[in-house]
Amino acid sequence: PGDTRDAARVRSAPAPVTDVARLCVCDLLVAQCDVNCCCDPDCSAEDFSLFTTCSVPVVIGDRQLCSQKAAVYSLDVEANPPERIFKLIDQVNPSIFCIHATNYKQALYLKTPEIPTPENFDQLLEKYGGASFRTEPDSWDLDTDVQNPPEANETSRYEYGAPVQTEDAFLRLPSPVVSSWCSDANPAGFLVNQATKCIRSVSVEKCDSIQALSMLFYINSSILAVPKSSQMVNITVQSIVVQSVNGMRTLLSSSDVLRLPMVLDELCINAVLGVKYHITHIDMGEIIEAAAAFVLGAISKEELSIEQSFEISFTQENTQPVALSGNPGYVVGLPVRAGFQPQGYPFPAAFLNKHSQLTILHSTSTQDCLAAQGARAPVLFGYNMISGCKLRITAAMKCQPLAQTLLDVLKGQSFPEYVASFGNSQAQDVLDWVPITQLHISEQMISYTLQSSCQIPVSLGIEVKWTKYGSLVNPQARIVNVTATITTTTLKQLPSGRERIIPITSSVVFTDISAPAEPSYKAWPTINIKLPFDFFYPFV
Amino acid sequence: SSQLSSLPLQILLYVNGIYYIFYFLATLAMIIYKSQVFSYPDDLLASDLAVLFLMGILEVPRLYLGFKGNLTEAEAPLGLSLGLTVGSVVLCVYLLLWQTYVLWADVLLSAVLLSAYGLESGLKVTAIAAFVS
Repeated sequence: PGDTRDAARVRSAPAPVTDVARLCVCDLLVAQCDVNCCCDPDCSAEDFSLFTTCSVPVVIGDRQLCSQKAAVYSLDVEANPPERIFKLIDQVNPSIFCIHATNYKQALYLKTPEIPTPENFDQLLEKYGGASFRTEPDSWDLDTDVQNPPEANETSRYEYGAPVQTEDAFLRLPSPVVSSWCSDANPAGFLVNQATKCIRSVSVEKCDSIQALSMLFYINSSILAVPKSSQMVNITVQSIVVQSVNGMRTLLSSSDVLRLPMVLDELCINAVLGVKYHITHIDMGEIIEAAAAFVLGAISKEELSIEQSFEISFTQENTQPVALSGNPGYVVGLPVRAGFQPQGYPFPAAFLNKHSQLTILHSTSTQDCLAAQGARAPVLFGYNMISGCKLRITAAMKCQPLAQTLLDVLKGQSFPEYVASFGNSQAQDVLDWVPITQLHISEQMISYTLQSSCQIPVSLGIEVKWTKYGSLVNPQARIVNVTATITTTTLKQLPSGRERIIPITSSVVFTDISAPAEPSYKAWPTINIKLPFDFFYPFV
Repeated sequence: SSQLSSLPLQILLYVNGIYYIFYFLATLAMIIYKSQVFSYPDDLLASDLAVLFLMGILEVPRLYLGFKGNLTEAEAPLGLSLGLTVGSVVLCVYLLLWQTYVLWADVLLSAVLLSAYGLESGLKVTAIAAFVS
């Protein structure tokens, strides 16, 4: 009896409610009164007296019928207390093309969906069970034995977002799916620059058998130049950087030797920690070159998982892409472009090397200034930043080298001299680059001596003044002035054995110095009528 | 007078012919409008169009036989025309009551056509009675 009852219940969906007097779309709370919902049956007369308007004034069926019932709700605010008025009226559609009658029952109502039963379940699953309801699902098959019927003779080209195909399946860019664990089934999309980071579980004993840790896994299958063709492009190894256990990276001089992971002294060396693919293509959607830059590292026995990072970038042949930070005004959040001026020409700094960007010190978890080797963050337009570290001074430290080290820590290896005024300033336009003004302020105590004691920099403040430029309707951000202020303080000689901790800070502040806008109008057109010289010939 | 042909019937047949052209074009236009604006399944659309075109095909011999019978004062063509009128009435009632979507304009046009058919049938019967006797 339980089964048949369930079966009977499943077979029919509840009948749709079509009585306008009982329909109420604003009745969302069960057994509670919804505010300003005049059709809510849970509301009492006291609730109605608190309403201000009716959110649903009319409940009506299909307006195209010639005559139909409509439930009209309104609030009578004149009465004291305000009360709700409910009227059931016959709404007449005056149009001559109103529907007088219909003999097709589904015309005016939504179709009730099919209830799955054991008989039609398979058919419904086939129709609606996939990710999309198309008639021909495009299945991406990894199995090369299944031959796709060859298409017409025309060779297709890669389109934006199309998976980059390789000999066996597609170019993989492992990425986290759902959780942070790496999934190798993520294809790289053509012209989609991606950077992903994911975690892979490893074990030192099996490190030479885990495929994803070996360089070969990422370069062994060649990329197809065009989809479904036989033209192959081999993936070359562009560079190999070896990362040591303490985090220091060295670039290997010879990158043609394939280094496979192996176990050495309880460490697994030559494990792939990061891959950067650079794909070069021509403008017709064809790939002509592919290169991969690897970061190899060592895994110790205690580590059960490592973080791998993957990146892919596409460049067109014979072009040097320079990422613009705005066109023409700076866009908030994009890096401020900076550069140097060797021999009268500023160079844009972002030509595939990040060393001449305007950067500030990046705070690290250790907070030790002398150990924060090279951790820098790019200065993003519009984002005020402050960072810092702690400097531990002992008696043994010499002032001059310490000052130089701190200057390097604050300013970075190559502090630029010029900043681009617009987001798209070109290298050749000398006037579009703003020089960075460097100021030195020394916090000297006045009572102190004339003996020139050594000064160490303790803070770097970069102030970027920008203005709104261009039309009132679409103002563009333009950098007008950049000032880098180094504050130095005297290093007092410490008695031996004592040590002192000084905070070192660096900050970037963006100030808007736009002058108030003055709207200007185009001149009114003037009518300039003059009769020609000989208009009244021959009378004059 | 010795003229037995019915003048009112002649006028009515003439006016009916003109009105029917208007009725056919208007109903066809409305069916096209309905198919765009409402959900009109293909089989129902096909049956409605078939009825309309059948009615159009019937109308031509019906009117011709009516004219011929009335002018030549012969009762056979007029009787045949009366039979075809019954068929047209049935099809018109279908378009009035059993179409997929019946708009108010459909109701008006069909009602006028039905009343014209009714009046015409009455006049034809009178004319046949006059010719036979």
